[in-house]
Amino acid sequence: MKNASTAIVATALLGFVACTNVNSPNGPSVTELRPDERGFVAGLGIESQDLVTISDKMARGILGAEPIANAQGKPVIVLEPINNDTRFPIDKDIFLTRIRVSLSGNANGKIQFVAREHIDKLEAERDRKLAGQVTGGEKLQGNEFRGADFILTGTFKAISSRGNAGASDYVLYTFQLIDPDNSDIIWEGFHEIKKQGRDDVTYR
Amino acid sequence: MKFATASLLLLVLWMTACQAPDIPPAREYSDDLVVEGKRLIAQAPRQDKNLWRLRVGLIALKQNQPAEAKALFDAAMPSAGQILQADASTRMAQSLFAPENVKGFHGEPYERAMGWFYRGLLYWIDGEPDNARACFRTAQLMDALAEKQQYRADWVLLDYLDGFISTKLGQDGSTALERARTHADGTVLPDYNSKANTILFLQTGFGPVKKSGGDVGEALVYDGGHSDVARVRVTVAGQTVEAPIYDNLTTQASTRGSRAMDLVLARKANVKKIGDTVGDVGTVPGVVLVEHDETRDAGLALLGVGLVGKFIGNSVEPRADTRTWNNLPQHLSFAALQLPVGEHTATVEFLNASGAALPDRQKSVLLTVQADRDTVVLVADR
Repeated sequence: MKNASTAIVATALLGFVACTNVNSPNGPSVTELRPDERGFVAGLGIESQDLVTISDKMARGILGAEPIANAQGKPVIVLEPINNDTRFPIDKDIFLTRIRVSLSGNANGKIQFVAREHIDKLEAERDRKLAGQVTGGEKLQGNEFRGADFILTGTFKAISSRGNAGASDYVLYTFQLIDPDNSDIIWEGFHEIKKQGRDDVTYR
Repeated sequence: MKFATASLLLLVLWMTACQAPDIPPAREYSDDLVVEGKRLIAQAPRQDKNLWRLRVGLIALKQNQPAEAKALFDAAMPSAGQILQADASTRMAQSLFAPENVKGFHGEPYERAMGWFYRGLLYWIDGEPDNARACFRTAQLMDALAEKQQYRADWVLLDYLDGFISTKLGQDGSTALERARTHADGTVLPDYNSKANTILFLQTGFGPVKKSGGDVGEALVYDGGHSDVARVRVTVAGQTVEAPIYDNLTTQASTRGSRAMDLVLARKANVKKIGDTVGDVGTVPGVVLVEHDETRDAGLALLGVGLVGKFIGNSVEPRADTRTWNNLPQHLSFAALQLPVGEHTATVEFLNASGAALPDRQKSVLLTVQADRDTVVLVADR
């Protein structure tokens, strides 16, 4: 009898523990997720899983583009800020940074990025070298800052609606690799995501 | 021995009497309203913290503390795409025995729109006009829940700013400007100047305040705000611009129409009213019937039913949530100027309906115009 009671209690405890979902808000207070995983606080906006999916897709597309795949030497790519035409305020650098990191990791040295966003600091350092304030100026042959063979940029556009039935957001992410010498778009990739949701009745 | 005990008791009594009372030192208050506001946020119940963050965030913005304002607005508002989900507090707000205001505060649509409006202004101050435009678009979407079609997403300034920023970024802002002019209801909105580099957000008066209505407080109604300002005149560097009133917050609040939550509150109100009625109908006759032997049993039964009805009626909480972001303005206005780089002192005059400047409201604003970004300021008459 005692053994039976113990077994029932143990089974109940095991069942309770097994049914606790780590992805549930009722589970542990902090849950570590993969960046490409949809969390329980997912919303309609631009989220980490979108960032990972899109940047990996764009990186694959860029590496497969003919002018990059068959380039002689290492083409220099400059990143230009994304034009955000959606209703979601975003950190515009994070997409291009993620694409750059993904490209750098997969391109086996076929692509050269330049840190144009730090140009003020780089110019100051170069000037100090040329002025002899610091060492290294003897190696410089005039202006050695690289010009861009291609410019990578993007535009995010959205169609958003909201009503008593809920809210809906469609976001179109487009990226372009542009030849700055002639403004030709040498590669273009896109990704689109539509999300819908509805606030709890107490907030409607 | 008795003498020793008595002496000891007297000594203890004397020491106790001489013990200085433990008076805590008076709290020191800061002159800085933002510092005091943060103290209020810390003391506020969990469900009210967002409300206090919004109030203090606006104070910080008006006192030219954009970093503080940004942090407070970010903490108070869910992200632009976040769905407001059910939790324990929202379930309690729907229950019969708790009022609506036990849920976490996110405001009514006009308050949510104003949160995004100020957040957009802060992005623009930071030199991110496209993120500012994103916020203005989200703000406009907050108003899309209005019951009647003609009041949905009808903020004039939000559409005007959407088109203005698009124009400044070299895109087509004409559709948004057309929408703004459609909703402006006769107010003449100026054409865009894509080279304008000095942006003045202007606000006047006191905004609306919520109060409970209906038979038992189940309805949400508004006390209208007030502003005696009809136009705003800005004079700087030899230029004078008169800005019209773009939006009226009392209009925006009161044209929202019924909420989905109103149905929940109406159900609670019905239960309360039925309970009260049963209580009234049962209690008094029950007391009368109990006094006579032949009707005592029936009287007791009626009294019991009446008391249960009274208990239910008194326990049900149908009150609507009247927490209000109470330092919002009544009117929104806007002016954009093209000024040379450098420092300029602008005079902002608030004009009444007859065009006279209200002397106690005039403001002097130092504008530092930079070459690489817009200069964005908020000027309030109160």
